[in-house]
Amino acid sequence: MSIRFSMAVMAIATLVGCASDPLPTEQIKLTEQALEQAKAVGADEQPELETAEAKFADARADMADKSYKDARMKAEQAELDARLAEARVLTLKSQEQINQLNTRLNRLRKQLGEVQ
Amino acid sequence: MNRIPRALSVGLLLAAAGLYGCANHQDSGQALQQASTDFQKVKEDTDVLRSAPKDVIRAGESLARAERLSSYLGSGADVSHYAYLSSRYSEIAREHSNLMLNKERLAKMDMERQRLQLGLREAKLASAQQQGRWLEDQILSLATTQTDRGLVMTLGDVLFDAGHAELKNSASRTILKVVQFLQINPRRIVRIEGYTDSTGDRQENLTLSKDRAQAVADVLMDLGIDEKRIQVEGYGQQFPVDANASGRGRAQNRRVEIVFSDEKGQLGAPR
Repeated sequence: MSIRFSMAVMAIATLVGCASDPLPTEQIKLTEQALEQAKAVGADEQPELETAEAKFADARADMADKSYKDARMKAEQAELDARLAEARVLTLKSQEQINQLNTRLNRLRKQLGEVQ
Repeated sequence: MNRIPRALSVGLLLAAAGLYGCANHQDSGQALQQASTDFQKVKEDTDVLRSAPKDVIRAGESLARAERLSSYLGSGADVSHYAYLSSRYSEIAREHSNLMLNKERLAKMDMERQRLQLGLREAKLASAQQQGRWLEDQILSLATTQTDRGLVMTLGDVLFDAGHAELKNSASRTILKVVQFLQINPRRIVRIEGYTDSTGDRQENLTLSKDRAQAVADVLMDLGIDEKRIQVEGYGQQFPVDANASGRGRAQNRRVEIVFSDEKGQLGAPR
C-alpha cells in the first residue's frame, strides 16, 4: 500500500514536471542566433563561446531525451555565454582600433614637432 | 496500521528531497552571492546604465527570481541557474559599457587626428613655401616617367639614411606634391614599391625595401590620403635599374617608386 502510494506521488510529480516544461523551441532558436552572431563577429577564440557551444550541445541532447527543462536551462545559459563572447570580441576590436589610432597620433605629433 | 507507513513514506520522500536540496544549497548560495555582487556593481555604474539599460534590468530580474526561488526547498539547481543568468547579464552590460566608452574615445581621437593632419599639412606647406620653391613645378615634372607600368615617380636613396627605413625631412616637398596631386585626382590610387641594391642579405633587403615603401605610405596617410588608395610592395634587390657593380649603379637601384594609376583608378598589376 505504501509503495503504491509513493509510486502515485512520484507519477504525479513526473506529470507535473512534464506539464510545466513545454518544448523550448523558441529558446533553442534564440541560442542558435546568438551563437551565429558571435561567430560572425569572430568570437571563435573566446572561452565563453566554447562554453556556449558545449552547453548548446548538451541542450540538444536533453531535447532528444525529452528533458525539456534541462534543455531550456542549458540553452538559456548558452545564449548568454555566446552574447558575452560577442560583446567581449567587440570590445577587444575597439581596443585594437584605439591602439592603432594612438600609434598614428603619436607619429603625427612627432612629425609636427619636427616640422615646427 | 496503514496510516503510519503512509506518513513514513511521505516523510522519507521529503527528507530525500531535503537532502538533495542541501547538497546543492552551498553552491547555489555562492552563485547567488556572486550574482548579487555583480549586479550591485553594474547598477551603480552610470556608464553601464547609460549603455546597456536592458541588460542591467534583466540582470536584476534574474537575480530577483533566484532570490525568490532560494526560499523554496530543493530549488538549488534553479537558484544557481538564475544566479548564473544574472551574473552573465551583468557581465554583458559591463562589456557593452566598455565598448561604448571605447567608441567615444575613438571619436575624440579621430577628431584629434584630423586636427593634427590639418596642422601638419599647413606646417609642411609653410616650410615648403619658405624655401620659395612651392608651385614652381607640377607633379609631372618631378622625377616621373611614363612606363608600361604607368606613371612612375622615383624617390632616390638620398631620402633615407643607409640601412634605415625612416624618411628624411628633405622628402617633405616631394611627398607634399604627391599628396596634392592625389587630392586633385581623387580617383587615382598609388602603389609604393621599395627596392634595394644587391649588397647584403637578400631577405633583409626585402624587409628594408618593404619598410621604406611603408614609411612613404605612412606619411601619405598622415597627410590625409585614405589608406585604401595606397598599396605597398617591397621587391628587395629584384628589378635593378642599373648594374650593381658600381657605387653609382647601386645608388640608382636603392629607390622607392610610386606608381600612379590612371584617372579612373586603374592600376597595373604588381610585378
